[in-house]
Amino acid sequence: MPEIRVTPLGAGQDVGRSCILVSIAGKNVMLDCGMHMGFSDDRRFPDFSYITRSGRLTDFLDCVIISHFHLDHCGALPYFSEMVGYDGPIYMTQPTQAICPILLEDYRKIAVDKKGEANFFTSQMIKDCMKKVVAVHLHQTVQVDDELEIKAYYAGHVLGAAMFQIKVGSESVVYTGDYNMTPDRHLGAAWIDKCRPNLLITESTYATTIRDSKRCRERDFLKKVHETVERGGKLWARWPGGAARGSSRAGLPPPLQVLIPVFALGRAQELCILLETFWERMDLKAPIYFSTGLTEKANHYYKLFIPWTNQKIRKTFVQRNMFEFKHIKAFDRAFADSPGPMVVFATPGMLHAGQSLQIFRKWAGNEKNMVIMPGYCVQGTVGHKILSGQRKLEMEGRQVLEVKMQVEYMSFSAHADAKGIMQLVGQAEPENVLLVHGEAKKMEFLKQKIEQEFRVSCYMPANGETVTLPTSPSIPVGISLGLLKREMAQGLLPDAKKPRLLHGTLIMKDSNFRLVSSEQALKELGLAEHQLRFTCRVHLHDTRKEQETAVRVYSHLKSVLKDHCVQHLPDGSVTVESILIQAAAHSEDPGTKVLLVSWTYQDEELGSYLTSLLKKGLPQAS
Amino acid sequence: MWGGTCTEDSAWASAPAAGKWHLPVYQDFHAFDLSGATRVLEWIGDKGILVAGYESLKKNEILHLILPLRLSVKENQGLFPERDFKVCHGGFSDRSVFDLKYVPDTRLLVTSGLPGCYLQVWQVAEDSDVIKAVSTIDVCEEGCLWPRVAIFSSAAPGVLHGARLSSLKVVDLESQKTTYSSGVSDDELLSSLQVLDTDTFAFCCTSGRLGLVDTRQKWTPSENLRPGSGSAGGRWCAEAGGRGPGPSIASLGSDGQLCLLDPRDLCQPVSLVQCPVSMPSPDPELLRVTWAPGLDNCLAISGFDGTVQVYDVTSWGGMGRQVEPLFTHKGHIFLDGNGMDTAPLVTTHTWHPCKPRTLLSAASDASLHVWDWVDLHAAR
Repeated sequence: MPEIRVTPLGAGQDVGRSCILVSIAGKNVMLDCGMHMGFSDDRRFPDFSYITRSGRLTDFLDCVIISHFHLDHCGALPYFSEMVGYDGPIYMTQPTQAICPILLEDYRKIAVDKKGEANFFTSQMIKDCMKKVVAVHLHQTVQVDDELEIKAYYAGHVLGAAMFQIKVGSESVVYTGDYNMTPDRHLGAAWIDKCRPNLLITESTYATTIRDSKRCRERDFLKKVHETVERGGKLWARWPGGAARGSSRAGLPPPLQVLIPVFALGRAQELCILLETFWERMDLKAPIYFSTGLTEKANHYYKLFIPWTNQKIRKTFVQRNMFEFKHIKAFDRAFADSPGPMVVFATPGMLHAGQSLQIFRKWAGNEKNMVIMPGYCVQGTVGHKILSGQRKLEMEGRQVLEVKMQVEYMSFSAHADAKGIMQLVGQAEPENVLLVHGEAKKMEFLKQKIEQEFRVSCYMPANGETVTLPTSPSIPVGISLGLLKREMAQGLLPDAKKPRLLHGTLIMKDSNFRLVSSEQALKELGLAEHQLRFTCRVHLHDTRKEQETAVRVYSHLKSVLKDHCVQHLPDGSVTVESILIQAAAHSEDPGTKVLLVSWTYQDEELGSYLTSLLKKGLPQAS
Repeated sequence: MWGGTCTEDSAWASAPAAGKWHLPVYQDFHAFDLSGATRVLEWIGDKGILVAGYESLKKNEILHLILPLRLSVKENQGLFPERDFKVCHGGFSDRSVFDLKYVPDTRLLVTSGLPGCYLQVWQVAEDSDVIKAVSTIDVCEEGCLWPRVAIFSSAAPGVLHGARLSSLKVVDLESQKTTYSSGVSDDELLSSLQVLDTDTFAFCCTSGRLGLVDTRQKWTPSENLRPGSGSAGGRWCAEAGGRGPGPSIASLGSDGQLCLLDPRDLCQPVSLVQCPVSMPSPDPELLRVTWAPGLDNCLAISGFDGTVQVYDVTSWGGMGRQVEPLFTHKGHIFLDGNGMDTAPLVTTHTWHPCKPRTLLSAASDASLHVWDWVDLHAAR
């Protein structure tokens, strides 16, 4: 029974760790390999024992696909490939390939240096893992092997994020990863063509939400900025994903950021443009600063990945240097000590080291100041602590820092909500939809909504649970020209609307299907043909000559069997398709004629029917 | 993009401003797009609201939405980044829904729509996220009229419903037995019904005639004089419930007239004012006037255009004067991303039960706003 099987891996019902196993037409693909940020033990990794039971991962899996660089989608990749063991190809887009190792290294440092974890993947493992990566372009069909092909589609969400179509023959699955259906300032909206996959797999984490508009989110950010600088405070927004290397290495200068330039580029640039316009419109005078060193790297990466951003950004870039702002200047350490209001964008993003931590320590004690955290902070970092409400922090050397400054947590991440999911399903037109990371009971309404609107089946497996979808793949069969020609020569031209029965032999060899005439098949196989022929005698009362009986038979059958080819041959016999009817005189009784009805095994049904028809007798001659 | 017209600016800056600094006029502002426009906004507790679609040719959704966490928490608001509504429960209605009431202390809802010959009773599931139709209440109405609905909440809840004065009834929800009926032949059309306490309710007819009814007695409402004496017809609706020492019943006409009454003497309106509305309401069925539960002498009106206007009615007196709103919410107009020629029309609005200056408003373009306005007069 042809089927597609999907199993979300990982323990428990927790969201935050994407890793899905798909079996399609005998191929096994792993989609994403994420880490759960909330756990510090093995629960943060997906449960790979499910597949390792089947043997070596490299033998079992045909490929691994990573949708984007967020750690809950790629965080477990080095662990998986280097510690569990996988040597096959890992597919991802180019920006993902560039940014992934930076984020992984950053996370590794926090886990090992800050939290002192053992049994974590090493820097070398990250490098070795990335050697297995094959980068893909958007809308480019990539042949993984003779039968398996994949294609990436634009997903929005973050730079380089993609949705993937996995195809084997006529069966296909589309995996969305995280995506966004509304464009933002630097990224476009997700898009897919009407590819009609058997199955669309999508996250349901945000499926039951209705998102606040982008304008209102931005308004909230601007309002907080404005209020703080108006009060004479210092406002400080930090950027997630900054990797500060070597700040503790003696003798080296403080690091130039190795900030995830592109990631920072996206959100940072978005908010910089926002602030710049706001400052201009409101005629504000408070200075805005941006971490030094960011600009060169940022521009370099930016140029690499321009096709991944949206129209507006590309236009702006052409006109001027990305970071040439009127109101935003490069930051100097000394500025942190200046009195008066200011806004500073600094790195690294989770407050675990470097410039951002330095500034934080200077400003934390003043309640007029504010820190805006624009994203998730990993457990163990100062960022995470203050977002959990902690107000007294133990720093190095047992120093206690009292945090009086206001802490604001803002979410700028772009996910599809209920409306977005419906839009995407409408675009792709799948036969089935599968939602991961939701509790089935809490999603009954969404399931009904999808099923009703699109007339598809909607599945919601729990982690570790396998969903099996029966499919009806179409198998292409080549028909030999000779056979086709012969069928057409059989008499009446085929009526295009009516199905026509033809006889042939199906030869299956090396995943190849051919339909040939029986004679050809026998020849190829070196077999002799045997024919089964049935003959039946029907006695009719008719005093005329047998030739006339034959004519009567012909007329009768012609009028009754309008759908069949009835012929009267020159030798007096009548044929119906391939069935032969001959009239002969009865050896003893001249008033009786004997009809010999002869047919081959293929025409058994028609033959039997004809016989019973003839047994009923012929109509009286008019 | 930000480089927009100045109408976009007025989203968060008051216009015109004399000085360099523009004051933000909203404390909070959230804007959402529902999958279908709603004409109802009904609270479940102080954290959840119900909305329902009113399209005539397709299945409409009834949604139970939980307010964004950021709006619900009282402390440390800054640490909660969630600004989104959560769909807690959902159901499908074959009919358009024009009125929806929650039966307090139960998991039941009652809806009214077209055709209007029955009310639908729904149950909000406990162990799943589904809102299911469970029963109907037959009403004797012409199919083209839809009855207004209000709930007498008690151990045995009663459903007050009617499209005309003559068909006004109270039906026991469980037994479906009629426990009260107006028993009059007067077939004036109703525009609003409101339960005031366990025994009394208020009604308002489209003509502006309104009355307070005690269900313990046979039909003898205390009524007002028809407002035809002062104003020129139009269509009216009303709401009782003002807080503070002044009049507690407000009646709103489709030409922008607002009449304030004291329930003790409905025949003597306390004041009759003209609100600055640019035109008579294009759809008077959408007229809505509501009293603020958390502010004294404060009410809001909508149904004329894409705005919601908030008024302080303290020291309104006399007849015929012009008044100015304390605040006007214009969000539905300039956040309309459809670029349609017709501006959206606000279909309904409601006040947050606990946060004094927070309102929710919905419009015909399926937008839903939650906004907390700043009292600029007080700020100055």
